[in-house]
Amino acid sequence: MDLLAQVLINGILLGGLYAIMALGLALVWGVLNIVNLAHGAFIMLGAYLAWHLYVYLGIDPFLGLPITAIVMFGVGYAVQRGILNLVVRAPMFNTLLITFGMEVVLTYLAQLAFSADFRTINPSYAGTNVALGPVVIPTVRLAAFGVAIALTVAMWLFLLRTKLGRAIRATAQNLVAARLYGVEPRHLYAMTFGIGIGLAGVAGGLYGTVSQINPYIGATLTAKCFAIAIIGGLDNPLGVIVGGLVLGIIESLAILYIGATFGDVASFGVLVLVLIIRPSGLLGRTA
Amino acid sequence: MSTTARIAVAVVVVAILAAVPWVGSDVIVQFGISTLLLAVLAQGWNIIGGYTGYASFGNSTFFGLGAYGVAIAMVQWNLPFWVGMIFGAVMAVAFAILLGLPVLRLKGHYFAIATLALAQVVAAIVSNIPLFGQNIGLVLPPLNNDAMFYELALALLVAATLTVAWLTRSRFGFGLIAIRENEEGAAVMGVNTTLYKVMAFALSGLFSALAGGIQAYWITFLDPASAFDISLNVKMIIMAVFGGPGTIFGPVVGAFVLSAISEVLSSEITSVAGLFFGIVVVAAVVLMPRGLADIIRHFRTSGWRYFIQNVKAHRI
Repeated sequence: MDLLAQVLINGILLGGLYAIMALGLALVWGVLNIVNLAHGAFIMLGAYLAWHLYVYLGIDPFLGLPITAIVMFGVGYAVQRGILNLVVRAPMFNTLLITFGMEVVLTYLAQLAFSADFRTINPSYAGTNVALGPVVIPTVRLAAFGVAIALTVAMWLFLLRTKLGRAIRATAQNLVAARLYGVEPRHLYAMTFGIGIGLAGVAGGLYGTVSQINPYIGATLTAKCFAIAIIGGLDNPLGVIVGGLVLGIIESLAILYIGATFGDVASFGVLVLVLIIRPSGLLGRTA
Repeated sequence: MSTTARIAVAVVVVAILAAVPWVGSDVIVQFGISTLLLAVLAQGWNIIGGYTGYASFGNSTFFGLGAYGVAIAMVQWNLPFWVGMIFGAVMAVAFAILLGLPVLRLKGHYFAIATLALAQVVAAIVSNIPLFGQNIGLVLPPLNNDAMFYELALALLVAATLTVAWLTRSRFGFGLIAIRENEEGAAVMGVNTTLYKVMAFALSGLFSALAGGIQAYWITFLDPASAFDISLNVKMIIMAVFGGPGTIFGPVVGAFVLSAISEVLSSEITSVAGLFFGIVVVAAVVLMPRGLADIIRHFRTSGWRYFIQNVKAHRI
């Protein structure tokens, strides 16, 4: 029983991290209709940025998150403005291919710059735990979970309440109408992609504190982000919390009851089932 | 070119390609086998992706099943190679029909992602089945006869290309194109969309599986990671789209050109070949979103302005 409780808690903590990972992908997909295959590679870049800030400048990984977010936002803005805005109206294949090309480029650049070795961000408090009755929770995982959930909720409020957030939602619903109301799409698309990549950067910084990173982690993370975005639906940023928790808990349970190699099978199996039963996601509007 | 001239050119090209093992070096023949197999994959993907308009990421799964069909038949049951090819093809087609029915109801991105996820599930399941050699993989009996593998791959490519050519002039092919252009419209016009889509998926899977079978016997080693490699699926899409999806020769030309580029890159600048490949893909999507076939059609009239027009057409 204690084991099950521990596994469930692990799944929930993992789910929070998954939510913030998928948030940027879901935002970009929902607003720009671009499925960003390079999303995981941007998470990887964020993780390396946080690692460099910690190792070379001694900035605590959690305090360094705003720096990572701002730098990655700039990268995202530039990529959308310089490259993706040129193909945003092209057929779906083309955006899939171009983001795949970016994934390849980013992975290779990371390999050249950082080598293929595994790295971890190990602050002084990395080994400490919080005991919650019979369940033991690593402090770092708990902190990462807290930051992830707080940011996801903040993002939801931002889209709901601010002028920029409303403009982004309006663009997602109807570009022509949004233009008539004075939205400048080139800038707005770049802002949206920038925010998405900024979130990927933060997710990477958090991921680096709880797992090992190397240049090749991107592809798997992208696949997981898809699963989360689809399970949660693209209509509401809070959907990724549901998607993340579902995926985190299922993975943890599958690893416990079926076997270590079945974590991914379970998560992708659930993804296929959700797609077949409800293509717009568990929380999405049914078409 | 007239149809007769095209057929004549195609026959000459096939004859030249068929002569390669007798005149080329071993390295050329090996490069030829891998390129021909990639061209078969691109052509197979063309049936479901190019003609039917469904971006399948599941074709690498069919490739893997075909490869395992040959490996299981030869290693576990001591049957000849051709029986393994049939076994792999049957597995892949059965899989395509079973999964095609629910998954082909999905549209656009959702279909792409469902097939992507299926590929992962199949790879993980296979690595847990003893018959498939689990994670360790299977080692096939070696056969040092590259010329035979080369001619087999070429014959398969000719068969795949003839099938695609048949699509452009048959009721079935027109039905697929109608589905790509407007699925509801096609259904109203009396096209049995479900049947046509599943058949296209199965046909696509058949060619992928046969290519996988040849690859397995040629490489003589098979494990889940190499058999169900997603990047192989991305490669075939890039080749088909680069050459021109929904055309007869586009995917083949795309596969030849891109294989040659990456071969030259990896022999000249080993460390950054992959990086350049990525840059080529990004540049190609921006400058020539409709593939090589479209360039050849329009370059004569608009020249270098063609690239600028493409960018203007798709930018925001």
